[in-house]
Amino acid sequence: MRIRNRFWWFVLLGVLTIIFIMGVLAWFFWLQLAPAERSLLLNILGHNFIYVFTVGVLLLAGLGFAADGVFHVYILPLSKLVEEVTLIATVNPSHRIAMQGSREVDRLVAIINESADRVEALQGRVEERIRLARAEAETEKNILAAFMADLPEGVLICNTDGRILFFNNRAREYLSHNRLSGASTPSGADPFMGLGRSIFTVIDKNLIVHALDEIAEKLNSGETSAAAYFVAVGEGDRLLQVEAVPVLNNRRDFNGFILICKDITAQLEVDSRVNALFKSLVQKVRGSLGGIRSAVEAMIAYPQMAAKHSERFKAIIHEEALRIGELLAESQEAYSRQVLTRWPLVHMPACDLMEAVGRKAETKLGLKLVIYGCEEDIWLRVDSYSIVLAVLFLLERLKTHLGLRDFNCCIERRGHFVCLDLRWIGKPVKLETLRQWEDEELSVAGEAIPLSLREVVGHHDAEIWSNASRRLKNTAYLRLFFPSCTSEAACNLRSITILPESRPEFYDFDLFNQPGQSPDLDDRPLTELTYTVFDTETTGLDPRGGDRIISIGAVRIVNLRLRQEDFFDQLVDPQRPLPPESVEIHGIQPEMLEGQPPIATVLPLFQRYTEETILVAHNAAFDMLMLQLAEAETGIRFINPVLDTLLISSVVHPSQGRHDMESISQRLGISVVGRHTALGDAIATAEIFLKLIPLLAKQGIYTLRDAREASQKSYYARIRY
Amino acid sequence: MAAKVLIVEDDSSILVPLTFLLEQNGYEVSTAADGEEALAAVARSAPDLVLLDIMMPRLDGYAVCQAIRENPEWGGIKIVLLSAKAGEMDVAKGMALGADAFISKPFANAEITATVQRLLTGPA
Repeated sequence: MRIRNRFWWFVLLGVLTIIFIMGVLAWFFWLQLAPAERSLLLNILGHNFIYVFTVGVLLLAGLGFAADGVFHVYILPLSKLVEEVTLIATVNPSHRIAMQGSREVDRLVAIINESADRVEALQGRVEERIRLARAEAETEKNILAAFMADLPEGVLICNTDGRILFFNNRAREYLSHNRLSGASTPSGADPFMGLGRSIFTVIDKNLIVHALDEIAEKLNSGETSAAAYFVAVGEGDRLLQVEAVPVLNNRRDFNGFILICKDITAQLEVDSRVNALFKSLVQKVRGSLGGIRSAVEAMIAYPQMAAKHSERFKAIIHEEALRIGELLAESQEAYSRQVLTRWPLVHMPACDLMEAVGRKAETKLGLKLVIYGCEEDIWLRVDSYSIVLAVLFLLERLKTHLGLRDFNCCIERRGHFVCLDLRWIGKPVKLETLRQWEDEELSVAGEAIPLSLREVVGHHDAEIWSNASRRLKNTAYLRLFFPSCTSEAACNLRSITILPESRPEFYDFDLFNQPGQSPDLDDRPLTELTYTVFDTETTGLDPRGGDRIISIGAVRIVNLRLRQEDFFDQLVDPQRPLPPESVEIHGIQPEMLEGQPPIATVLPLFQRYTEETILVAHNAAFDMLMLQLAEAETGIRFINPVLDTLLISSVVHPSQGRHDMESISQRLGISVVGRHTALGDAIATAEIFLKLIPLLAKQGIYTLRDAREASQKSYYARIRY
Repeated sequence: MAAKVLIVEDDSSILVPLTFLLEQNGYEVSTAADGEEALAAVARSAPDLVLLDIMMPRLDGYAVCQAIRENPEWGGIKIVLLSAKAGEMDVAKGMALGADAFISKPFANAEITATVQRLLTGPA
């Protein structure tokens, strides 16, 4: 019952009670009177009825005005006060009560506002302290997240139900399937891969189930490593080798799994080509050798054979020997081309490498290394740690062997190769000495790796030698001869990892604690559900009169977090003229809609985006009607549960008159940017919705069912479009 | 006077026919089976040309080549490297260490004789 009605019932009851008591008193008074007195009294009342009646009416009117005054001055402010105080105490501590009432109410308001100031200041200090304490942990988390995001492998983490809790950019690149096959796609949006979504929409369920069974079997048999592998098809038909690793809690219960995806398309191609190469080589060499062997054996067996036969046989041997030589040369070249394409080394400029060596040589070995001939576009494929160590090792050997402290380093490109020459004044090192060095394990000034110089140089496909300079007198050099990095593609550098200012939004390990979404969403707490908050822009406000959708914007709320990166933003060609007066509202010019897909193309996509989520919109009835009217054309039905922030606001704040987005935002302390674009409004609505959830909880509204029922009862639910 | 050629090779199935071939072409041929023997032979009597296998036990062909180049008295000796390892990298290394030519195995007899002839009679 609304407060006003309740009050007036109360007043009526009061008045009736008074009338009843007065009536009883009058009755007793009447019984005390003698018959003559009674007739006299009736006479007096009869003659003066008008005065008695007027007094009675005035009395009642006076009572009524007094009651109304009490209602407005004490009761109404009190009920508003409750809402406003709740607002301060829950979602908007900066909210202050601006209300006129009786003197007592005004004083109460002043005291409340003062207390709110104090609490807010106190809260601010506490939050600041918490913020500082968290900053450090956050930085570490960000390093981890940034590192994960830039891993060369795609990484996905899922809970036991297959909901995605984390994915990095590479995983998105590998697994997100193409959306619109046309010029226009929802910019940046990715309807099929997102936090809280099911992994089974991007990887075949059978593959994962099989892998998980395998893992479970290994875990049961007590194996310590329990990964399973399978190959899946990713975006653009690439082949992904997927490693599935279980995530166990400390009681060794299965808690989820990690998928690590590697693109093996190129490697498989190389492997199959090398395989084919090897097979054809073996076949051809066997053939040629067969000829040679049979010719030679014939000549051995029949030494007296006629000259024409022996000439023939010799010719065969000669030809086949030539052919084998050619085959080997061809195969060697083809093989080295194939192998180079999968060389697992990192690309870096030769200068940078040698500058690193120079710095270390100075601090660790006390040597001076002057670098020259350094062109910026000379690149090498190296494992920088082992190669830096190798060069330092050589410098250290040169220092003890020659007793020198000054070396030059000359970097030079020669055809497909790069020379890194360490030069000095004096005699060259003997190749035998160098060969001894090559057999030693690399160890310099406390740093060591269990590989010999020869292995490291070999790993880089490089050569090393020592000689006297032909051009410079008295100068000797030690040359590291590398294949240069010529292919543009091979020289591609990994992008630099930049730590985001705040925690990246695309992961949330807390989701591990979230139970999977069951079919009966109605009994689930609002805090656990996944929402698609959306808004549409239209050609006008009359859906039934033929107005159409021209833009759909949506964001998702997963685990009570607004996922701004997981958005849907698409213009739609309404296939009818755009009224100029609507342009003023949404700012979408008619030419912006040219070439955009029609609603029939966009809706199926939007439906996939909203799959298994609760739809949320402000004034949802309007947007839902727009979607329903498009149903005839597209055959797409939205059967998701729907919540409306307008209705929820009216449930939470029934005494507040206004429930438009501006008023609600202001009340809840949300600053709105980008209003009147579909995406901007969707984001604002999502922020409003997030603040309304705790306010609903204050009223005992926890589940989806509670929220829907309360909305339905709300006064505004009576509005129908 | 016939030019002197030293063949350094540890594989006799190559050494024997090569010797035969060069003798047939009118060169005075001596042989060595490894790098150290080769340097000793050069020291005894410097040849005009050395056919030098790279892959040998003890001192390899690169080292022999370098040792010969380090001695100014032997500056006139031509060096032809022979190797079954015939990548661009090996050729570059051989030439950098002072070889005059690089012939990969398997080779044609004609390639050997042509190279030897070119080095011994052509412009120094």
